[in-house]
Amino acid sequence: MAHLAEPRAAGVRGQLRTPARRRAILAATAFLAPFMIILVGLQYFPLGVLVRDSFYRFSLFNPEKARFVGFKNYQKVFSDPDTLQSLFVSVLFIVGFLILVLPIGFVLAVFLNQARRGRSLARVFVFLPVVTSQVVVATLWTFMLSRDGLANAVLGTVNTGPISFLSDSRYALPTLVVVTVWQQVGLCTIIFLGGLQAIPRELVEAASLDGASAARRMWSITVPLLARTTGVTTIVMTVFSLQAFAPAYIMTGGAPDGTTNLIVYHMYKTAFLIKDPGFASAISAVVLIVALAISLSQSRILRPKWSY
Amino acid sequence: MSVALDHEPKRASINFAKSAGWVTGVAAIAVAFLAPYIWMVASSFKSQFEVFSALNPLNWRAFVPVDGSWANYAQLFENGKVATGLINSFLVACIQVGGALVLCTTTAYALSRIVFPGRRIVFGIILATFMLPTEAIVVPVYRVISGLGLQDTLIGIALPWLASAFGLLLVLPAFEEIPRELDEAARIDGAGHFRIFWNVILPNVKTALATLTLIIFLFSWNSFLWPLVVTSSPDKIVVQVAVAQSVSPGELPNWGLTFAGATAATIPLIVLFLFLQKYFVQGLATSGMK
Repeated sequence: MAHLAEPRAAGVRGQLRTPARRRAILAATAFLAPFMIILVGLQYFPLGVLVRDSFYRFSLFNPEKARFVGFKNYQKVFSDPDTLQSLFVSVLFIVGFLILVLPIGFVLAVFLNQARRGRSLARVFVFLPVVTSQVVVATLWTFMLSRDGLANAVLGTVNTGPISFLSDSRYALPTLVVVTVWQQVGLCTIIFLGGLQAIPRELVEAASLDGASAARRMWSITVPLLARTTGVTTIVMTVFSLQAFAPAYIMTGGAPDGTTNLIVYHMYKTAFLIKDPGFASAISAVVLIVALAISLSQSRILRPKWSY
Repeated sequence: MSVALDHEPKRASINFAKSAGWVTGVAAIAVAFLAPYIWMVASSFKSQFEVFSALNPLNWRAFVPVDGSWANYAQLFENGKVATGLINSFLVACIQVGGALVLCTTTAYALSRIVFPGRRIVFGIILATFMLPTEAIVVPVYRVISGLGLQDTLIGIALPWLASAFGLLLVLPAFEEIPRELDEAARIDGAGHFRIFWNVILPNVKTALATLTLIIFLFSWNSFLWPLVVTSSPDKIVVQVAVAQSVSPGELPNWGLTFAGATAATIPLIVLFLFLQKYFVQGLATSGMK
């Protein structure tokens, strides 16, 4: 990740005289205090609360009356059928999302990297859903995909359907995947475009002069040089899809039969509707550990690039 | 020789095929990404009956507000939660943007300009929160915020996300790029840290601050799960929660009215985006590159 440059403003480190050093510490404290207080108080401290809560059973109305239950909540995460189904559904959702969003994002980036008229407009189109909220996207697609919505009207013109995209258990999860791809593919495309533009033009031209076909240039130059970009995109997209909430909340409510019960939605219901925050904390902790593992794998993938 | 002769028409036909491919591709992109928006905006000017009659059977009227009226929008602003939501979302976004501007710039200044022991440790502590998935910590953050008595307040919606590692990383490179000679000169003139921060550094990082403002505004405006959790009374509702509530399951929602709400929640951002694309893309691409 980003590395910190040395502010060699006041001479070499360690040679500062005490009053200057004291003044520097004082100034640093003044400048850093607001950020650090909020960061520690509202991000680190809640992490501690999360760990503590995950070992207790209590209600949000009366948090003082908490009962220590040891690892029971964690045992429940891996034995409660609804939670297991939710974890399984989330894995399917993430895998399906990645399988679609990465190739489509890549193809769109290669396509939009051509120096042709209208490409910046086309980029704007692809990027619009990224700046639209998940709530609006989910609302829009709920109506598009309902039995008498736009999608079935289009299918009606070729005499098929209507399909119950959101209430048929065969279609509901794939539908959520497709809608999420529609929303996020623009971000994926922009990241790939950045990677494509960083490829030295001479490399491609040289290969072209040596008689390499377009397919060959793509496979032997573009794809290998984008390996790192692809790694980054994969991780960003994984963490995004792990946190998906609005599609389940708005489009399906986890139905039919829990087949779209994404893990963050399940956690939300457990904490605020079923009112079992202890168990919800254990679910959160599991999600956090998975997200952390993914980010650590990111730092591993990116390390070669930092050590320059 | 003959090869060279029939080379020309061949290249022309390849060029034609390529152009046709380009046009088809762009048209497909336009349909896939724009048609849903056009249908949403067109329908927001229609009554329930008009929305459905354009779909059954499907005709061009679905995408054009024929005989459109502002009735849905009028209803939205007369008694709607969406109107309250728009105001609240704007206020929350302002708090969040203002807070992030102050906190991220002071922190970036300290990290890039002051030599103090523990600098690396402080930076590490901030960086470690970078990949923290916010959705996964809403339950304990809710416990802390309600412990502070800030649940169901606009401050409570914004406060937990003010110390943003993402925001810091967005502005830090701009701070580090400013040549040290500038503050060195100011220091010799007797300026203290605050003067240097305000008069020397800040005027030189305006682009980074514009990007930060836009991205934080976008995140704040579009956030849903946390405001849903932390607010409960109707006068504290944010626009995303208001839109989500109008798609109530069970009964048939009023599509035109819901679309009017969704349009009102989206237009401000799309307008900002169209005018300030460059900053948005830079900022969001950083969020990807991290």
